[in-house]
Amino acid sequence: MMEKKEIYVLSAKQISVQQPLCEDWMSQPIEYQQPFNRSIDPSFKDYISPIEARRMGKILKRAIATSKEALKASGLETVDAIITGTGYGCIENTEFFLDALSKDGEQMLSPTYFMQSTHNTISSIVAIQMKNHGYNVTYAHKGTSFDSALQDAMLQLRLGKISSALVGGHDEMTETFYNILKKGGMMGHDDEMCGEAAVSVVVGARNDDYLCKILDFKMLHKPTMERLKAMAAKFKADFILTGISGDHKSDEAYIAEAKELFGDAKLLKYKHLFGESFTSSGLGFYVAAQCLKAGKIPTHLFVNPKDITDKKPSMILIFNHSDGTNYSLTLMEA
Amino acid sequence: MDELIYTLKQQIIEALNLEDMKPEDIDDNASLFGEGLGLDSIDALELIVMMEKNYGIKLKDPTQGKEIFKSVAVMADFIAKNRTK
Amino acid sequence: MTDRILITGAGVVSAIGCGMAQTLDALLNNRSGVGPLVYLKTEHKEFPVGEVKMSDEGMRKHLNINDKEITTRTALMGMIALDEALKDAKITPEMIPNIGFISGTTVGGMDMSEQYYLDYVNNENHKEYIAVHDCGSCSEMTANHFGKFAFITTLSTACSSAANAIILGANMLRCGEADIVVVGGSECITKFHLNGFNSLMILDTQWCRPFDATRAGLNLGEGAAYLVLETEESAKKRGVKAQAILSGYGNACDAFHQTASSPDGEGAYRAMKEALQLADIQPDKIDYINAHGTGTPNNDLSESQAMKRLFGDKVPPMSSTKQFTGHTTSASGSIEAVFCILALQNGFVPVNLNWSQPIEDGVVPVHQPHKKELKHILCNAFGFGGNDSSLLISKPEL
Repeated sequence: MMEKKEIYVLSAKQISVQQPLCEDWMSQPIEYQQPFNRSIDPSFKDYISPIEARRMGKILKRAIATSKEALKASGLETVDAIITGTGYGCIENTEFFLDALSKDGEQMLSPTYFMQSTHNTISSIVAIQMKNHGYNVTYAHKGTSFDSALQDAMLQLRLGKISSALVGGHDEMTETFYNILKKGGMMGHDDEMCGEAAVSVVVGARNDDYLCKILDFKMLHKPTMERLKAMAAKFKADFILTGISGDHKSDEAYIAEAKELFGDAKLLKYKHLFGESFTSSGLGFYVAAQCLKAGKIPTHLFVNPKDITDKKPSMILIFNHSDGTNYSLTLMEA
Repeated sequence: MDELIYTLKQQIIEALNLEDMKPEDIDDNASLFGEGLGLDSIDALELIVMMEKNYGIKLKDPTQGKEIFKSVAVMADFIAKNRTK
Repeated sequence: MTDRILITGAGVVSAIGCGMAQTLDALLNNRSGVGPLVYLKTEHKEFPVGEVKMSDEGMRKHLNINDKEITTRTALMGMIALDEALKDAKITPEMIPNIGFISGTTVGGMDMSEQYYLDYVNNENHKEYIAVHDCGSCSEMTANHFGKFAFITTLSTACSSAANAIILGANMLRCGEADIVVVGGSECITKFHLNGFNSLMILDTQWCRPFDATRAGLNLGEGAAYLVLETEESAKKRGVKAQAILSGYGNACDAFHQTASSPDGEGAYRAMKEALQLADIQPDKIDYINAHGTGTPNNDLSESQAMKRLFGDKVPPMSSTKQFTGHTTSASGSIEAVFCILALQNGFVPVNLNWSQPIEDGVVPVHQPHKKELKHILCNAFGFGGNDSSLLISKPEL
């Protein structure tokens, strides 16, 4: 059995519906009324040359910007691995290509749209930009795509195959696809807000400015309550970051389950700020890391106002359950 | 021919998403690939698609692109001689 | 590597057959499954392809799935291969909740989405297929047919997806996260990527010719394959034997271009080298390389360079098997791993079909029938975006 190493989060950067590449959401969160919102983008000129940027959809530009910022903030020159999670991949370009295919037929189709539509183009373009020849993979497993990418990084760190990794969670959404997903029953329930996610995190060995530690991690598929309880007993924390999203029925079940598993632990939420997307768990990870670094949890993250405390969090457990079928538990420590 | 060259420049800018460029910025005889505009093999493919869409010219062999896309002037000349639209 | 990763079961479906026995027969008799398009509804009949010789209805019948159930072609193929792999490894339904499932795909449910896209946008028809468009849902559809696996995830690195699924599985075993994982991939041909590859002008209208000087592109294929990876301890306990050993693996990024490989094959070179290092095996011990060998001018030259960089002037016997199956994209890493297992078990090198002229400064493939006792095989899978992976598969009794 492999001994579990301590793995550190050296940096975490995001572009989302909140102010990009900063932590303004902690003190001045932006509130949204519309059920679907696209991210607030920074200027990408500092990260990508115009000749390169011209072909890139938003998801790619955001991946490059957050990756470069995360690398810079980590203090590392380079990383040994680039591992990305994306639930739906490059929707803008997939849409362009599908649209042309459906309406104009199978002639004269754009190679650029096709090339930029594959899921792994995100991880690949970051590697090209960083001239990085290390381990490079992409996970596309719905709401546990980011989690899968994180798991892979952690396995390899434990095995000593790598000493650092850039882990990303990237998803974008267009108006057309949002409406399609709503039609398919996947988005748009009750008070749910659909957002977009671009998160880049560097994990590795400890340095002076680390954000927090990852103590343990587990992914489960359709686990029995018995199995979940066994996991919960090992992953104790005062604060549980849930992925409740404003979908009433789902949230009710989610909270009931969290209470049964974690007792009196204080429940937190983040999707009311950042929205729902397939890689929003990456944003949850970012939120937990930043709270642990800051030594405080903003009041607007508490599910129950009675739980609000200015107690410095020492551990946060991120409890993600995607559609109630794929679960991940990530235990983080300050 | 001048009109074709101007239109062609507009179409190139659109097909290749050269957002901040205007037709006036592209020299008729400057090389499009390599040193000049710095376009690459994917751009060549996009130009092949553009030529078929706008001028009805179908290039079966992508390596022909190297000669045809040397510059806007060379491209315009090829189009004038081979267009079916 | 200290703890051995055993391959205790395998299952496959492709253009050359349904199951290991049919596949072996085709490989031994040089029988290609590439031919004119039959099942995919597309204008582009000019491209030879390696389709699995079953319609979706045929596959549903084969799997005993009723017409009302929502399925996609990629998942159906996956189920066929997974069924064989589980049976081959003697895995019973009771064992499934303790087993992981890791699958690679890029198209997911696109075969349905591309048919129904305008309905998705404009009306309420076929909306039940919306939820199965993505890659993860495809893996789950495949897995759910057999029970509730302990965990499921999906890799999507284009043509190296299945190979990377195998690598993740091995790492999970080595970390003690599981004793048994089923790993591999599945992909069906879709209009989306047929047209996508055509827009990149890398499809051949003739039968492909990997490593031949006149090669002009690839033929697309489809299929699925899964391997059961197991720790030595678990296999002993269950009393099952290894079909082969996963001795090593490597993953590196070419970091050159999103659709082209670097001239010196940097990513490919690093991936193969890493596989050898992990296995602690010297280059001269490799008996055969199952090349990625797509038949595109770019890949075959780049891969040849990588092989020469690693092996010098002693490149082992090598061949591409994509003339048999077409390029099965995301599934190719596991389908071709299965070919390697069959080669190890039966002592032969699969022939590089349809070859006549060597590439200038390239590597000459095995183009005649070649019986040879094989101990160690390298199996390459290189994806768009420079996601290059290599697996080192060895005979168990060493």
